[in-house]
Amino acid sequence: MDDIEKNAARLGCLTCPSVILLPGVGTLVKTEFKLPLIHKSSKDEEENTEFITRSWMIPDMFQFENVGFSKTVGNFKYLVCADCEIGPIGWHCIDNKTSYIADMRVKHMES
Amino acid sequence: MDPSVLTTLKILITGESGVGKSSLLLRFTDDTFDNEQAATIGVDFKVKLINVDGNNVKLAIWDTAGQERFRTLTPSYYRNAQGAILVYDVCSRQSFSRLDAWFDELETYATNTNIVKMLIGNKIDKDRREVSREEGLKFAKKHSMLFIEASAKTKDGVQMAFEELVQKIIQTPGLWEADVTSQRGLSLSDRTQAGQPWSCSGYCSMV
Repeated sequence: MDDIEKNAARLGCLTCPSVILLPGVGTLVKTEFKLPLIHKSSKDEEENTEFITRSWMIPDMFQFENVGFSKTVGNFKYLVCADCEIGPIGWHCIDNKTSYIADMRVKHMES
Repeated sequence: MDPSVLTTLKILITGESGVGKSSLLLRFTDDTFDNEQAATIGVDFKVKLINVDGNNVKLAIWDTAGQERFRTLTPSYYRNAQGAILVYDVCSRQSFSRLDAWFDELETYATNTNIVKMLIGNKIDKDRREVSREEGLKFAKKHSMLFIEASAKTKDGVQMAFEELVQKIIQTPGLWEADVTSQRGLSLSDRTQAGQPWSCSGYCSMV
């Protein structure tokens, strides 16, 4: 398949210098996942989530440079920055052990 | 897999509730201690990259937070761990008294018989100390553990604690395996077998 896209840059935390993923490790996938917002703006739970459509798929958790996994919520664990713990920056699916980083929740770092 | 990663190690952090285990984990490479987001759901474990003596080592660090209220953790928590950190609060005599029980549990369930253990007296930034440094050191000596006093709040000693622990694990033959996919250009096995002189024999004093 020619259209497989890997992350060209390092992926890092939006708020601290922590490096999350090295270049070429994540595979770009289309997702439909309702991820809670980092900053809650409303009391309405529905309004406090957003659809994540563009994500980097990581099959093995040890492929991350630095990442934190939350306690399990339903079938998922939320991913947070390992250093400042801001998040969720993505999610981890318990069933298939695959992790997804939301592209809009991370920084593409210059190397 | 990152080609420069020497190995992946499982590290546990145990000890009584409220001694600052989670903060130690958070504080490891971080400069922003205060974060309101942190406690919402609670972190289960972290994958972290650490560089020790020029080698990249990936750590899977497990925090018992919450589970320790049930007093006994599931044996699976201890399975295959190469390193264990026992934490007490230097301002809590009770947390120090409970160390024996935590140590026994570790001895019972750890599947690696040569697992490297470290004792951390935390919260030295606070001024109501109830456990002296000597007492901590004595416990560590008795049980052949590395020892350090630290403050997760001021970051004192935390990074060094993890580095010392990883260093000791790497120097323990048979305790770890090099990641098969990432052995290119690394010759640490020679050095490990040669048995580098370890400055701290069994316990360690760094503060």
